[in-house]
Amino acid sequence: MNIELKNVTHKYGSYVAINDLTTTFNEASISMILGPNGCGKTTLLKYLINHCEEYGNSMAYVPQETTGSLNTTVRDVLSLGRYNKSKFYIRETAEDKRIIDEVIAEFGLEDFLSRNVDTLSAGEKQRVFIARAIIQDADWTLLDEPTANLDVKYADKLMRIIKDHRSRGKSFVIVIHDINLASLHADNILLMKSGVKIASGAPSEALTLTSLKSAYDIDFISADIEGHKVFINSVGN
Amino acid sequence: MLKLRDAATGIKIIISLIVLVVVMLISCCLGSVRIPIPDIIKTLTNSEEISKATRTIILQVRFPRIIMSALIGGSLASIGAVMQGLFKNPMADASVLGISSGSALGATIMMVSGVSFSVFGITGNYLGAIVGAVVTWLIVYNIARISGDYDLNTTLLAGIAISSIFTAIITVIMTMNKDRLEQIYLWMLGTFSNSTPSKTLIMSIVVLILMPILIIIAPRIDVLKLGKEAAKGLGVSSSSSSAILLTVSSILLAFCVANSGIIGFIGLIIPHCVSFMRVYKMRSKLIMSFLVGAIFTVICDTIAKTVAAPGEIAIGAITSLIGAPYFLYLMLTGLRRERKMR
Repeated sequence: MNIELKNVTHKYGSYVAINDLTTTFNEASISMILGPNGCGKTTLLKYLINHCEEYGNSMAYVPQETTGSLNTTVRDVLSLGRYNKSKFYIRETAEDKRIIDEVIAEFGLEDFLSRNVDTLSAGEKQRVFIARAIIQDADWTLLDEPTANLDVKYADKLMRIIKDHRSRGKSFVIVIHDINLASLHADNILLMKSGVKIASGAPSEALTLTSLKSAYDIDFISADIEGHKVFINSVGN
Repeated sequence: MLKLRDAATGIKIIISLIVLVVVMLISCCLGSVRIPIPDIIKTLTNSEEISKATRTIILQVRFPRIIMSALIGGSLASIGAVMQGLFKNPMADASVLGISSGSALGATIMMVSGVSFSVFGITGNYLGAIVGAVVTWLIVYNIARISGDYDLNTTLLAGIAISSIFTAIITVIMTMNKDRLEQIYLWMLGTFSNSTPSKTLIMSIVVLILMPILIIIAPRIDVLKLGKEAAKGLGVSSSSSSAILLTVSSILLAFCVANSGIIGFIGLIIPHCVSFMRVYKMRSKLIMSFLVGAIFTVICDTIAKTVAAPGEIAIGAITSLIGAPYFLYLMLTGLRRERKMR
């Protein structure tokens, strides 16, 4: 089922974070939300997860950063992805174990399963927490800047994994800063500014020089490279 | 691999249980009268060979106190584990909620008011401590949900503020009632010497009801560590889970403080010791913290009552004197290990 937001407004006190937003996130596709800092991207993701009862119960969420000491092993964190599959969460079933092992292999986490999460680097942590969300096997997975701490290789690997899960009918809503990554991998784009929608639709429609200029207040230039549209901000012009 | 790890935790729990029983038996031997272990076992199996006096010492004096110290040490350690997990802060323990200060205030007021009664072993101080704790928790809890949803950070700040207000009031009461100074001060230092069979029975029932609740919902703490929204996706509400966990912990703590006064350090260090034993999952961690906390406290109390016999050293002093150096040792070896890995 698609998620249809109609005239959603969200405030923090008197500050309006999302202002009268109407948009649709399609099922079995990758939707990416772009926009300048503080434009309401993260608030929108939190809005979705906090209203997950209305939009279908099954949602997984990974914040930009998981703060504080977790003081537990990587394997234990991954296992939490199966928490809501059993009533008292006493032990992993064979099915749980199969799914966890699959995702461990997908993300290449074999080498640090027994390490304490607190001792991992930011990028390693991010891979673990995203893997945890994939293990949850929810219909919708919401990721807040999943590639922020990842190097090019792992960012690419993550996109492959996400596309693979989309082809199995899973839906993703991803907040991202990299315009070209979005242009290359997203099925749908939502471009925001100050809590308001600037543009939405397929990357080719939503990401234009005009829409980007009005979202970020800077000039962009674009080029076609092997059929892909690439944007660069024209520094100093 | 997972099964292996589960089994390892199981073995650690069984070993701790055995150690606890042994420590309790040894503690029962020691005291102003030394009683050999076979006599203790004979008493427990209701053998007729044991003199009435010995039987009374074991059943009416030593066992209630040993069981009480085990129950309270275990509870304090488990509550500490809950706090550290929930607040994601290694420095958190039961004292951050202000409950201990509330209990102390309640007990202090009863001590200076001169009201004294005893029903089924329950004295005025005891009741004052429970009421003080419950009132404190209600204040902190209601401040923490003032913005609508129950909030953990507000809990922490409100708890610390309330705690310092109450401590100040106790100081004022103490200076105004110099004749009761010693009684209040000794109560606050903590002791198990007031344990009676009936009090121990009540504490056992409280632990038997509340600990299973904590153990059953403990995995929610693991889930909450992922963040409020991620937990929501897994069907765990941060506000209601925190409210349940903290309320249960507060009631348990209220009974601990009512029985033994304020005993520091157990709630802070034992969960760390359990982490050093590589037990991380909250459910196993709570069980292990309970057992290790119980062992530690029984040992400390045995020292407290034997070293300066027939007098006693305050249990709080012993837990810190033994606990703090051990904690430093664990921390230093941990740091050294980390440096080697780098």
